[in-house]
Formats: sequence, structure tokens, C-alpha cells
Amino acid sequence: MRVLCCLDGTNVEQMKRATAMLSGSEPITLGLIYVIDTGARHDIEHTRERFLRPHGSPPSRQHEMDEAERASAKETLDEGSHCFSGAETLQRQGTPEREIVNAAVEWQADLVIVCPRGEYGGTPRVGPKSIGHTARFVLDHAPCPVLLMRPPNQGPFPRQFR
Amino acid sequence: MFQYFAVPELTKTFLAALIGILTLVGIMTRPFRWNEAVIAMAGAGVLLLLGLVAPADAFITLARDWNTFLFFLGMMGISALAEAAGLFDWLAVQAARLAGRSATRLFLNIFLLGSLISMILSNDATALILTPVVYVLVTKLRLPVLPFLFACTFIADTASFLLPISNPINIIILSRFPLSLAIFLRLLFLPSLVVIGMNVGVFFLLYRQQLRGSFDLGRLPILEDARRHQVYFRYTCGVLVLVAVAYVIASAKQFPLSLVALTGGAVLLIGALSWKTINLRDLGKRISWSIFGFIAGMVIVVRSIEDTGLTSAFGNWLLHLSGGTGAGAVIVGTAGAAIGTNLINNVPMAVVMASALGSIQHAPIAVQHGFVAATIFGCDLGPNLTTVGSLATMLWLLILRRRGIEVSGLDYFRVGVIVTPIMLAAGALTILLLL
Repeated sequence: MRVLCCLDGTNVEQMKRATAMLSGSEPITLGLIYVIDTGARHDIEHTRERFLRPHGSPPSRQHEMDEAERASAKETLDEGSHCFSGAETLQRQGTPEREIVNAAVEWQADLVIVCPRGEYGGTPRVGPKSIGHTARFVLDHAPCPVLLMRPPNQGPFPRQFR
Repeated sequence: MFQYFAVPELTKTFLAALIGILTLVGIMTRPFRWNEAVIAMAGAGVLLLLGLVAPADAFITLARDWNTFLFFLGMMGISALAEAAGLFDWLAVQAARLAGRSATRLFLNIFLLGSLISMILSNDATALILTPVVYVLVTKLRLPVLPFLFACTFIADTASFLLPISNPINIIILSRFPLSLAIFLRLLFLPSLVVIGMNVGVFFLLYRQQLRGSFDLGRLPILEDARRHQVYFRYTCGVLVLVAVAYVIASAKQFPLSLVALTGGAVLLIGALSWKTINLRDLGKRISWSIFGFIAGMVIVVRSIEDTGLTSAFGNWLLHLSGGTGAGAVIVGTAGAAIGTNLINNVPMAVVMASALGSIQHAPIAVQHGFVAATIFGCDLGPNLTTVGSLATMLWLLILRRRGIEVSGLDYFRVGVIVTPIMLAAGALTILLLL
């Protein structure tokens, strides 16, 4: 089974839990994907446009941004490779949700594992709107089954008042 | 052309109004994604070719706005030379160091840094130079990028009426309606603090989940590396402190701020060339020359509309809507400027408003002050509503979205729609209380 794990820099531990759940079934070929989100760079361009500036920051600044993005991607994928030895790594650039779906097609994934959203130290969200737009898009458009790796929820769901 | 033919005055008036309105609609809708500067200069060119504006008249009009043109030049030069010194990178790293390891404190520090830069170097420097610097920093620190990016973009406008030099728009309006520094600060400093506080508060609320984490100080770039040339860096800091003091004194003495900006830029340039941190070619590339064409075109077009009486009619209409009261002036001025600035970008809106407000000079002083302060406030803060600056860009993004293409920019819009009306209302109310 070809399993594609979507890394976002905050979810390696959750991916480990997910793959542990799958072990024991058929042999797994793991793929790790990290997408450099170009949305922020487009937002910077819109700001330049609004301030009536020509397209593109100065080349030295663009180079710095490229370097920072690449270093972050490499670090995340290296972390993943360290946890999942032998896993294939895929680095993409663009809109994360679209790149993940397209990579799942190209890589012929049998299963995509995705987390609801990046967790940056806050309490993992449960309930309405707990699934971010990237995971939502992957759930809606992936060409194969998707495993949504939710954070463990301790409490029961409140019963309806009658 | 019409100098050589006998054309009725009414026809000339109609044509001038038509060309003026078409130019404004062109800037608003930007057909074929044409650059605004091209549209504005084309409008001015047609007016000159048809003889609807005399070349001498156009020259006098442009010469009258010398303070605005030179301020733009000086401001962009100072920002570019400060960037070449590594000042923005150094300040961003310092902000991160002072935050300890807390993402929340770094977020607050970025707001404070953005406010400081907007106040002294204008909102352009925050939005265009600090934003990519912060993007690189938070990417290296592996923090969520979007909240920090939005913080920079929003605070650039929110903090842009702390001082007259905090936004070139202020210079455009104050060149026509000079306010003493005391009145400017009395009417706009406190509202600025109020809206900055609200901006920070609402953003903390919106992004509280993403800001709870911490970052590894080891990921921070080395502070000394940010300074590209040690001596020039110190020189730049010293000159900028002097320029900031000179700005305040010049504002208080009603001395042209453009001369302070140009002198500061020239002193920095001498240092930069001496220590070879930048050459003239690179500096030239960092200055947006098309802005001068855009403003020149707009000024000539608005001048021709002035002759038709449309702008004074617009001013009288605003005065009528305000009911001739200070409170009405603040509400109408804020709403009009904020809406207009989201339709045609804040630079042309400021030029139009500056012309329209010419007809309120017979109104009581409180009404005049109310309109001027509200126009500055609305033109400065209004762009936060869409942040993309024009209806055209917004429509373009919506069209792309409808075609199923994921676009950025709409995320800004969602935040702007929540935050900006609240800030506009609170700021207008504060101005009202201070009037």
C-alpha cells in the first residue's frame, strides 16, 4: 500500500501515530510530502500592487525568501525521513491542497494521511471548523481514501438538552 | 486642438468631465490589467492634446504640488537606503530576541515595530520592506506565516496617521489644507493609538490559537549578520534619528517636509556611496518612478475636473450631507474617503478629496478641521478594508475564485471586513470627541 503523509512542520508525531495504526496490515511504501505555500508571496505582491510598486521585491530579498522557504522545507522533510527511514520525499511548491491532491495522483497513492490543521502550540481544536481549508480540500478532492489524523479527544460529546 | 477651433464652452466642459470620469473609472477597473500610471497619464495627455487643459496651467498645477513629489522621492530614497544598511533585518531580529521564545510576544513586537517604522519612515516602508523581512524571519522560526504577514500589512495603515510624515497621503492633503502640528496631533494622534490598540486586540483574538507556541532562539539569524556594513549601519541609525527630530520640528514650524526627506536621503546616499553599500543604479531600481507619472496624471485630470465645477459640487454635496456640523463632517469625511479609497486607491482619492474640500473653506473652522482630519483618517485607514487597494483587484480575485482557482488576497479581505469597519467607527468617534 502506498501511503502519502502530508507534513506541515508541526505534525511528524501525529504521522508516526497514524502509520503505527496501519502497521500489521499489508506492506507500506511511505511517501512524505511538504508543500511550500506560495500564497504568502502572492499576498506580498498584492501589497506591492496596492502601493503602486512594480512587480517583485528586490532580487536580494526574493533570494532570501526563497532560501528561507527551501531551508524550512528541507528541515521538515529531513525530520520526516529521520522518523520514517526509507520513505520517499516529495517537495512541491504552490497551493498546498492542490499540490497534495496532484501528488497523490502522480505518486499513485492508495491512502493520504492528513492532519486537520497546523498546530502551533495551541490546544488542538475539536468541533465545528476544526478542519482547516487544506485538509478540507484534500478530503473533498483526493483520488483515494484519506485518513484524517485527528488529535485525541478526551471528553464525550455533550448530549442534546430536551 | 480646441484652441484652433471655435468649440462651445459647454462642449469643452462636457468633454473634460467625461475624460476625467473615464480616467477615474479606468483606474478603478483597470481594463486589461493596465498600470494605473499609464491610465492616469493617458487621461492627462488627452486633456492636453485636446487643449482642455493649457500646458502652462498644467505646469503651474504640477509645480504647486512640488512638496508631494519631492516627499515621495525623499521617503522612498530614505527607506531604500535604510534597507541597504540592513536596518529592517536588524530590527526584526531584535524584536524576536526581545520576545524571548514566545510567539505571542513576537507578534506584539512586530506590531510595535511596524508602528514605529510607519511613524518615522512612512507606511510604505512597513508594508513593502518590513513585510518580506518578517516573512523570512517567521519562516526560519517555523511559526505560522499568515498572522505575522497580516500584522505588517495592517499596521502599516493603522499607524499611518501618528505624524504627518507617516503616510504620503497626509502630505497630499496637508499641502492643500495645512494643519499645525498641534492640531494634527490633537485630532489624529489619540485616534491612531485607539485604532492601533483595536487592531492588535482583534488580531490577538483572531489568531490566538496559532500564537500559543514558542520558537527556538537558536534559529534566529545572528544579529551582527543583519548589519551589512557596521559603520554605515551606525551612520544610518544616527541620520534617521536626526531626520525624525527634523520631521517633528519641520511639522511644527510648517516647513516643507519634502526638504527634510530629501536632505535626509541625500545625507544617507553620501554615506552609502562612500562605504559602497549601494550604487546609484541599484537605488534607482528601488524607487518606483511610475508613481510620479501616476500622481502627475491624476493632478492634471483633477485640475480639469475642477474647472468643470464637479469637484466643488462634490465638496458642497459632502458639506450638505454633513449638515454643516463638525460631527457630520467627521462621519461623512471618514465614510467618503474610506469608500473612495477602496474603489480607486488612496492616492487618487486623496487628490480628489483635496480638490473637493476646496469648497468647504467658507464653513466654520470646526467643520473644516473635521473634514480634513476625517479625510486623512479615511484615506489612510480605509485601504485595510480590502488591502488590495482597488475594486479592480478585488473583482479580479473574485473572478478567479469563481473559476475555481484558489487565490490569496481574499484571506486579507475576510480579515479586513471584520477589523476595518470597527476601527473606522472607533477612530471617527474619537476624532469627534476631540474636535
